[in-house]
Amino acid sequence: MRDVIIIGAGGGGAVAAKELAAQGLDVLVIEGGPRHAKPREQWSRLENDANNPLTGYLRVGQEDRSKPAAYRELPQNSFLWQVSGVGGTTQHYFGNSPRAYPGVFGGYDGPDAALYDVEHLFPYSYSEMVPYYEWVETTLPVQTAAVGTKESVYLQGCETLGLPVQKTKTTLEASYRPQENAILQPGGTAGKTNDANLLKFPQATGCTFCGHCFQGCASPAGAPRNLAAKRSTDNSYMPMALTAETWAQGGKAVELVTDATVTKVRTEDVRGELTARGVTWLDNRTGMVHTEDAKVVVMAGGAVENPRLWFNSDLPNPNDWVGRGFTDHYLDWTFGVFEENVGSSKGPASAARTDYPGYGMNMNVGLMPGIEAFTMTFSDSGIRGQYTNGRGMSGEWDGKTGRLIGPELKDVLGHGLDNILNVVSIVDDDVSPINRVTLSTLPADENGPIPKVRFDNRHRTARSQRNREFLAREAARLLKGAGAKKVYRMDFPALPLHVHSTMRMGESEKDSVVDHSGETRAVKRLFIADNSALPNSVGGPNPTLTMQAMVTRISEHIVTRYFDGEAWVAKGSPVLSTDSRISRRLVELGL
Amino acid sequence: MGTPQVDRRFFLTRVGVLGALAAAGTAVPGVARAVTTGPADPLVGVVSKLLAELARDTLNGLAVFVVPGPDGYSRTQGTPRSEPGAMEAKTPDFLIESLDNYVPMPDQIAAAVGRALANGLADVPIVVPNGLPLIPNALLADLDDVIKLLLRNDSALPLSAVIALLLNTQAVRVDPSSAVGPHLSPFSRLSFAKKAEVFELLEHADPQLVKAIDAELPEPLKGTVSGILQFIAGALLEFSAFGTFCEWSTFDADKLTVSKRPVGWDLAKYDPGSMDGWDEFKGYYQGRQKVSAR
Repeated sequence: MRDVIIIGAGGGGAVAAKELAAQGLDVLVIEGGPRHAKPREQWSRLENDANNPLTGYLRVGQEDRSKPAAYRELPQNSFLWQVSGVGGTTQHYFGNSPRAYPGVFGGYDGPDAALYDVEHLFPYSYSEMVPYYEWVETTLPVQTAAVGTKESVYLQGCETLGLPVQKTKTTLEASYRPQENAILQPGGTAGKTNDANLLKFPQATGCTFCGHCFQGCASPAGAPRNLAAKRSTDNSYMPMALTAETWAQGGKAVELVTDATVTKVRTEDVRGELTARGVTWLDNRTGMVHTEDAKVVVMAGGAVENPRLWFNSDLPNPNDWVGRGFTDHYLDWTFGVFEENVGSSKGPASAARTDYPGYGMNMNVGLMPGIEAFTMTFSDSGIRGQYTNGRGMSGEWDGKTGRLIGPELKDVLGHGLDNILNVVSIVDDDVSPINRVTLSTLPADENGPIPKVRFDNRHRTARSQRNREFLAREAARLLKGAGAKKVYRMDFPALPLHVHSTMRMGESEKDSVVDHSGETRAVKRLFIADNSALPNSVGGPNPTLTMQAMVTRISEHIVTRYFDGEAWVAKGSPVLSTDSRISRRLVELGL
Repeated sequence: MGTPQVDRRFFLTRVGVLGALAAAGTAVPGVARAVTTGPADPLVGVVSKLLAELARDTLNGLAVFVVPGPDGYSRTQGTPRSEPGAMEAKTPDFLIESLDNYVPMPDQIAAAVGRALANGLADVPIVVPNGLPLIPNALLADLDDVIKLLLRNDSALPLSAVIALLLNTQAVRVDPSSAVGPHLSPFSRLSFAKKAEVFELLEHADPQLVKAIDAELPEPLKGTVSGILQFIAGALLEFSAFGTFCEWSTFDADKLTVSKRPVGWDLAKYDPGSMDGWDEFKGYYQGRQKVSAR
């Protein structure tokens, strides 16, 4: 019997794997997608090959890309964008690692306390979270972003908004700043040359400004996996988990099984309490079914697959909150067309931001042309100039919201990708029971009934809608302040890219699935350790860092509650994921 | 409801088949008989080929709706451009490959759409324009039987064909005169504004269409279709844009690079450089490399 089985090696599961491995537990990690062991040989870093949700190497599905992607029923105009495989969705994330706003935590008594989703706060305080933030920020590490042209232009726009610059880790007021990114700052020739021959490790270290965060990061060329610039968990936490015996005293490397989908969490009755006993999984390549027992099971398959697995395992759902309360930051998109080159296609995908506690945040985004074209045609307001779907909002932007189709799409993109600056609005959206994951009635796949993801964008709460409108106005103001000649707002339909709170942690057993420790209320020895356990949308900031801090805290609870261990964060100091012992061991293992 | 012959004419007009026959001058085996309609039936082969051509033509019309160019389809919709567009980027091929090989749309849903097109929507009257071929009633019956059989049979038709029949049915609805004219498909004969009307109907989950498809779905699936139609409408537009501007058309999977610059990169003036990095590091804002720990 294993000590712990972790389901999923994404942004959260990898963190639990590393922390538990460092404590010497016997950990098995089962990941539904591939591990890209040699990304420089496997990744073109071109956007259809990488990001096509049906066929890309960063899709949700099994390793064999000739097989269909996982099918999810989306009963609305929407786009669910996750990634399976080791690293999970952090493989395509931008590395943005801000902390959550203090107002989303329990016990907050600032003057703006009423502005947040007060019904769904974290069941502990911000000050209790800070040591875990610091632990993760050191481990990854999180650093102040280096700035390129697009950030310079964005920050110029910020300077016209009448806001102060944030110079602290904690966001205390509406403000702007370069991102705190989990991206290694450029060193050596990185960021200083276009010549690929001069951009090899160790001549170049850290971010080379290649412009391909969204296609996965394996730069600079020749760097050991744990020294790739972007700290997605395939580059940071999983290498640590796979080498734990070399850098942690008493540590034990995890065993990793990839391309294998857990289809059932098995339970048994222990002294009258329903208790996790192990898991059953399907090897995608062979079709063989495996089963293994563990003292603790950790679900980290993401905000969609966790509820699906819960339902498919016939686990109890007494308060009907499994799958409910899905928050996704109710994303919206605004962009400006400039006469001058704003460098959108170069550098880290986003390195500057504006924070609005109580509302959410805006940040710049640089993309390749195909996904840029996707964003320009993605709207809930119909086709500009043709029909509006009952929306078509006017405001500080030019014209109405809506899809750019035909001549207008060509005219706008024809200005050149590098003359377009994008701003994504990331809304502090409310936990709402109507946005949810259920099982679909459409045919099952080989892993059982498929998930159905319902987002009712037309019935978001009044606070969520207010926040989104506020952020769109601010984005347009920023772009005009930065010198945009024309500003477009898209009015995105649901685009769950940040997916959280479907297995939410909460104070009350009436509307939460897990308690403050991450253990499920309905099944003992079963923990949730990814974005799905977040109690709310963390106020709008990008969720990964907060989730990783929360998962670190959950890992301590697993060890202290079930393995007679002691908590380590308060009195320890973390090993950096860039440690040379990890690099050496990865080479020895051929990883 | 009219006579069977009139109904058949409505149906075959609506899905674009009569117009396609007129445009293509396709020879149809003209022997009236009780259609046995196995795969060996020559008429099945002819009709399958015709539907595939119809699908490609329809997706040509869709792709240039999103990214027009110097092609005839863009001229027909009234928005010709001098620079290349979706046709030059091979976007219809991207759409067909995606729809037929990779979109994991359950057969039950695709088949229900097909059956709805074959059955329920036959009740919705349209004006059949002049200029359609005069086909003997017996042959009309044969064509009708074969196409309906293909539509009713789960997974008999590729998804691209089902999507095309859907777009063409709506095209004839928003503009009956699109049943005949240049190109093979009604959708491709529409003006830009009329194509937008088709998408407006789909995005609004056209109640008539939803009702017809719902009637074909088994009980647990009833009620799923309006959301799926909204999703499909959006995805068709977004994938047409993505497919045109990404590297798909010139991607070399063995070398993991493009064999030549894709059309979309030129249109968006995109320069990937060496792929490994740019001389783009400008420094740190206000010279600050690190924030305070607080």
